[in-house]
Amino acid sequence: MAGLEIISDQGYRIDGRRSSELRKVCARMGVFTQADGSAYIEQGNTKALATVYGPHEVRKGRGKIQHDRAVVNCQFSMATFSTGERKSRPKGDRRSQEMSMHLRQTFEAVIVTELFPRSQIDIYVQILQADGGNYCACVNAATLAVIDAGIPMKDYVCACTAGFIQDSPLLDISYVEESAGAPFLTVAMMPKSEQIVLLEMNSRLHADNMEKVLDLATQGCKDVFAVLDRHVRDHVSESHALMTAS
Amino acid sequence: MLKSKTFVKKTRKGGVLKVVREHYLRDDIWCGSAACGGCPQDRPVLEAEPEIDSTLCGFPHYLIPDTNVVLHQMDVLADSAIRNVIILQTVQQEVRHRSGTTYQRLRDQSNNADKHFYVFTNEHHRETYTEREQGESSNDYNDRVIRVATRWYNKHLQENRKDGDTPKVKVVLLTNDRENREKAQKEGLLAYTVHQYVKALKGNPELVDRLAQVDMGESTDSDIKNEATGRVLFPEHLPLSQLQTGIKSGRYLQGSFMASRENYLEANVLVHGDDSRSIFIQGHAHLNRAVNEDVVAIEMLPEDQWKCPSSMVLQDKDGDEETSEPDLGSPKGRSNAIPSGRVVGVIKRNWRPYCGVLQPSGIKEATRHLFMPAERKIPKIRIETRQAESLQGQRIVVSIDGWPRNSRYPKGHFVRKLGEVGDKDTENEVLLLEHDVPHQPFSQAVLNCLPSTPWGITKEDLACREDLRDIPICSVDPPGCTDIDDALHYVEKPNGNIEVGVHIADVTHFIRPNTALDQEAANRGNTVYLCDKRIDMVPELLSSNICSLRGKEERFAFSCIWEMTKDADIVSTRFCKSVICSKAALTYAEAQMMIDDKNRNDPVTVGLRGLNALAKILKKRRIDAGALTLASIEVRFHVDSETHDPIDLETKELRETNSMVEEFMLLANISVAKKILSDFPSCAMLRRHPQPPPSNYDILIKAGKSKGVDIETDTSKALAVSLDQATIPGHPYFNTLLRIISTRCMMQALYFCSGTLPESDYFHYGLATPIYTHFTSPIRRYSDIIVHRLLAVCINADKSYPDLLDKYKSQALCNNLNFRHKMAQYAGRASVELHTQLFFKNKVTEEEGFVLFVRKNAVQVLIPKFGFEGTIFLKSQDGRGEDSPFVFNEEESSQTAGEVKLRMFDRVVVQITVETSHIQHQKLRIRLVKPQVPGFTVPPVDTSNSAEPPVKKVKT
Amino acid sequence: MAVHITLPESRKKSAAPDAPKHLVTPGDVITTDTGYMRGHGTYMDDDKLKASLAGVVERVNKLICVQPLKTRYNGEIGDVVVGRVTEVGQRRWRVDVNSRLDAVLMLSAVNLPGGELRRRSAEDELMMREYLVEGDLISAEVQAIFHDGALSLHTRSLKYGKLAQGLMVQVSPSLVKRRKTHFHNLPCGASVILGNNGYVWICPTVDDEKVESSGGYEQDLEPVPSTDREVIARLRNCILSLATHKLMLYDTSVLYAYEASRQYQVKDLLQPDIAEKVADDTRQRLQMESG
Repeated sequence: MAGLEIISDQGYRIDGRRSSELRKVCARMGVFTQADGSAYIEQGNTKALATVYGPHEVRKGRGKIQHDRAVVNCQFSMATFSTGERKSRPKGDRRSQEMSMHLRQTFEAVIVTELFPRSQIDIYVQILQADGGNYCACVNAATLAVIDAGIPMKDYVCACTAGFIQDSPLLDISYVEESAGAPFLTVAMMPKSEQIVLLEMNSRLHADNMEKVLDLATQGCKDVFAVLDRHVRDHVSESHALMTAS
Repeated sequence: MLKSKTFVKKTRKGGVLKVVREHYLRDDIWCGSAACGGCPQDRPVLEAEPEIDSTLCGFPHYLIPDTNVVLHQMDVLADSAIRNVIILQTVQQEVRHRSGTTYQRLRDQSNNADKHFYVFTNEHHRETYTEREQGESSNDYNDRVIRVATRWYNKHLQENRKDGDTPKVKVVLLTNDRENREKAQKEGLLAYTVHQYVKALKGNPELVDRLAQVDMGESTDSDIKNEATGRVLFPEHLPLSQLQTGIKSGRYLQGSFMASRENYLEANVLVHGDDSRSIFIQGHAHLNRAVNEDVVAIEMLPEDQWKCPSSMVLQDKDGDEETSEPDLGSPKGRSNAIPSGRVVGVIKRNWRPYCGVLQPSGIKEATRHLFMPAERKIPKIRIETRQAESLQGQRIVVSIDGWPRNSRYPKGHFVRKLGEVGDKDTENEVLLLEHDVPHQPFSQAVLNCLPSTPWGITKEDLACREDLRDIPICSVDPPGCTDIDDALHYVEKPNGNIEVGVHIADVTHFIRPNTALDQEAANRGNTVYLCDKRIDMVPELLSSNICSLRGKEERFAFSCIWEMTKDADIVSTRFCKSVICSKAALTYAEAQMMIDDKNRNDPVTVGLRGLNALAKILKKRRIDAGALTLASIEVRFHVDSETHDPIDLETKELRETNSMVEEFMLLANISVAKKILSDFPSCAMLRRHPQPPPSNYDILIKAGKSKGVDIETDTSKALAVSLDQATIPGHPYFNTLLRIISTRCMMQALYFCSGTLPESDYFHYGLATPIYTHFTSPIRRYSDIIVHRLLAVCINADKSYPDLLDKYKSQALCNNLNFRHKMAQYAGRASVELHTQLFFKNKVTEEEGFVLFVRKNAVQVLIPKFGFEGTIFLKSQDGRGEDSPFVFNEEESSQTAGEVKLRMFDRVVVQITVETSHIQHQKLRIRLVKPQVPGFTVPPVDTSNSAEPPVKKVKT
Repeated sequence: MAVHITLPESRKKSAAPDAPKHLVTPGDVITTDTGYMRGHGTYMDDDKLKASLAGVVERVNKLICVQPLKTRYNGEIGDVVVGRVTEVGQRRWRVDVNSRLDAVLMLSAVNLPGGELRRRSAEDELMMREYLVEGDLISAEVQAIFHDGALSLHTRSLKYGKLAQGLMVQVSPSLVKRRKTHFHNLPCGASVILGNNGYVWICPTVDDEKVESSGGYEQDLEPVPSTDREVIARLRNCILSLATHKLMLYDTSVLYAYEASRQYQVKDLLQPDIAEKVADDTRQRLQMESG
């Protein structure tokens, strides 16, 4: 028989998850001291590192200055060792540029940029290991980094993928499942206000199935949020306790 | 949210690629046993008190089979006596990997609630997950995993017993691997071989016969040497890994093995990925135990060893294992040799259960028997059974278990009994099984989808449909037709143009997507017509009543309405869902009579005349474009109303009205094809007919030449023209014969999904149209249902659904439809053959025939009156032929015996009898009567009893 | 080359002793009561006051703000800052002070050599580079805040001015405790300027008289003795370890850390476990004294 069985009759996926389960999420905030904000996230085997600088004076290209709000500058990159095959990926390749653009759009929507006229906020994200859902890991890591940097945001942004494979919607699909060639949605949303910030679909999906998949992805975002929020609260209360203790 | 407790990575290394996969272990996988009080499961699959009467395990127990047991002993596991089985995920995955069909059967078992098969996801269970040790072979690892799971089950069931009084349930491991069994026993587990276990079962002795003979899958070398007979007949198969590297490097080729129908020692391998390439294989050793439809790896032979097909008809003779290979004749001219190869390994077996009969054995008490499959492409199978006596004269089903190197025949086991040989129902069953035609009665779930009766048209229905009930619509069909799916109308418009409508039964109104009914119909693919039986695609209520456009009844239709000029030029086309009321359901003959009867001038008759006139223009236009008119002889049996035995047969007659209906159906199909393709460029279901490769026509050109007729085959137009011109005075049948031969040169027409092929391939060669589909018979073809749905979406009459617009799913469906279509055709032909046999039973008939092909040791003769062809063996089968007066001339393909020369198209008279000497395998025997060859032909029979079969006109 | 590798530190779950603080994360609704005033770190959405930062809610009468853990420096008038000149412009210098916009130091806001009340001439404008060029570090005080949030600095006091030999450490501005003075001559033999903006300057102790005479724009290029350098290096490491472990920075904490670190070699202070030890010792000592 050709191909892998993405989901078994018993409802288990290749890695043992059920269809609506996320991968294990591990996060850490404040991994760098020199950056204004930084975070590291693991979603299963997808690992991403995000650093945030700013808001600061626009140094290069004064032309970009917006007099009513801050400029958000995002840069996405993938480490050469992030995929099974070692591959040097110049920052300017099309895929990275597209990712950078999507990230910028996402964060421009949530950061309260009006508070920082004439400044710039840099968000750098790097994928250290890629195993599906790269964009989601980047968004989630960047959210944590922005929070860590103390930059005001309207809400979290959480991202999650959901695919439609072998007639069932699957949450947070891994690389193996991505490569099965079925359509999948990438959703970035503000979990508390339930607004969708970015929605991307890689191939055609029938409208009847769309709702199911979107619902699942939305639920996935909220699940991601629960994990991130718990982590942020832990981090804040821990640091706060330390600071007030002295 | 459930989350893994522990998490372990699996790393696979191959080349420079490093794949890291997550593997979550869970603690929410339940054991599935009703006897367990520990797992919070909803509906446990395994019974609390499994009962099976056994001398070996006299206590309640569950079974855990290992992979090989599932692979080889599926017939035993599928028996209703075996229940409460735990299938481990490890085993299930391995089975899936090794055999798709067995995996499917296994799934069926676990979906069957009565069988209590539980699939335990052991690899994701926290306590049964086992890590592979360094240096451990994958087999050893799997065995260990299975043992770990068994041990866990034993412990788990013991610790979590619901309450004191339920009996203790144990778990029994079934494995035929000695090492594994010993290790298990050492660990204190109960482990038996399947054979031990099955033999110890009380009350199910017949199960023993179903045990597969092979203990360890493909026997290894050492096994062969250990056997007393230690004679190796076949070269070894190479291991899969070696085959794969060989295929990658181009040393070996991968292809489907297609055994020859005529000669059991010859086969062709169709190389994958290169459809036109076919490699010839000849001889036992080169065929190397490959069975029809297997996927094999072959190695090309050096060019000086290339063979040419022997053009000999050869059937395997009875059980003589010592026979050396008959001399297949070394080709004289190397020029005839074609690329040849030998099988070096089998990549995937495509064995299925085969129908056939037991070959009578000389020794009464013998348990080893040879089984003769009904399909000639399949070799005989050696089976062991104790019930041989009761199986004599019965049609039985047998599965192949394996083919060791020292055995002339594959080994197999008995599966089930179908019924008596020669009994019509049994034989029908055989041919349905052999052609994989789903013919079980419709399940309750399917019947639940039917509309309730009495059924009527409601106001809501009328609101969304055009009301065409006043239009003079009529249908024209063969006599006795109950599933009328098309009707026509013809109305002259005030502006001088003509409105012509084709109305097709609106089956999709009743068959909604993704219902049980829809799935069943999609699986069946089409209605199969046998001589005395119809295997419906949809339940009869729909096919013969609610959907059938019967006369004077209001029905839903999907209409295709054209406005045409008097010269049959289409001005406009529109499609709509409608309500119609057919004014008359006519037969072809009735319609013809109405047209011819000058005195009738009612609207229906006028319409028919108009349609007929238009059809003639359309037909001419089509033929000018290069459409082919091919011939095949179809026969109808008149069946005795009481015994259902055929008592007479006639070839179907074609009238003008047949062609009239056909023209409009073609027109509708083409119009619909254009419409759906323009709206759904990537997922329209169309039908294509590829142009055959030039080499296919060789036989036709050669046949023509032998009579001095040139056949042009460059384009379909040229072929059509030259076929029209190919007539020989005094040989009226010559043209028909040529057309029959050209039919065989054609490729199969295929359904396909438009997104999967370049547009240049959409062409329909036979009809000479750039695009074609099937729209007009939704009652009996599933393709038409899909086309209806697509068209309904085009005109906003219905909603689309996901699978309809998915080109991969569509193509998968097309593949199934193509397969079913082919099988339905074969089944139909086999049914005609069967009835022909029944018809000739106890009769000796003489009939005129024509030589169709001349082979090395035989001639194939077509008997037009009965529409079948038979083989006259001119030489004995081993091909030595000293006793035959005939001499074969390959150049001009003729057989000469003294004065008499048999060539293609020669008229002969043959005598037809049913060979009764061989009750197991009845077949028609054809012997030459004229021209007379002393010592070979048989004398003409007394004409009084045979020239015409007794005719008793009983219409069915 | 000797390489020192430490395993990832196991995160200790410090059982948060006083969790009941009103913690919020972005998007959290703080109150639906409309009677409050929207302060820093909050925004209004559908009549709800929501947090836009993660941190602790603080209420001052009707004003609600969210105090984030760390952020860029938000200047207040009177703050002492350490900054780096990034640009020399028309009668002004631009100074990076870790704020979201560069601060401005007007030519008119500096003490030029030769007297406090000297008139600025066109000549002085041309001489600006003589006083401060790009890359120079200065200490200054926030004089005013522009409407766009940029700071205006002045160095009109002898305490402020150009910084010469020494070392700058960058920490989160929220870790610098507001004190009466941010200039400390530590007894260990070095001076520290704890800028409110999170930039900390460590230099050898200078005697005030010298500063007086130079007006703050003369550089002393005498080589610093290596003992002083060691003290400076040790101070730097101590400040960093305090910052990593979120201890507030002020003279006492720095001094205690310095004392706690003396049992280790300077370079060992870079090892995370030792740095943690130093921070913990300091914290204990501070708690003992306060409690």
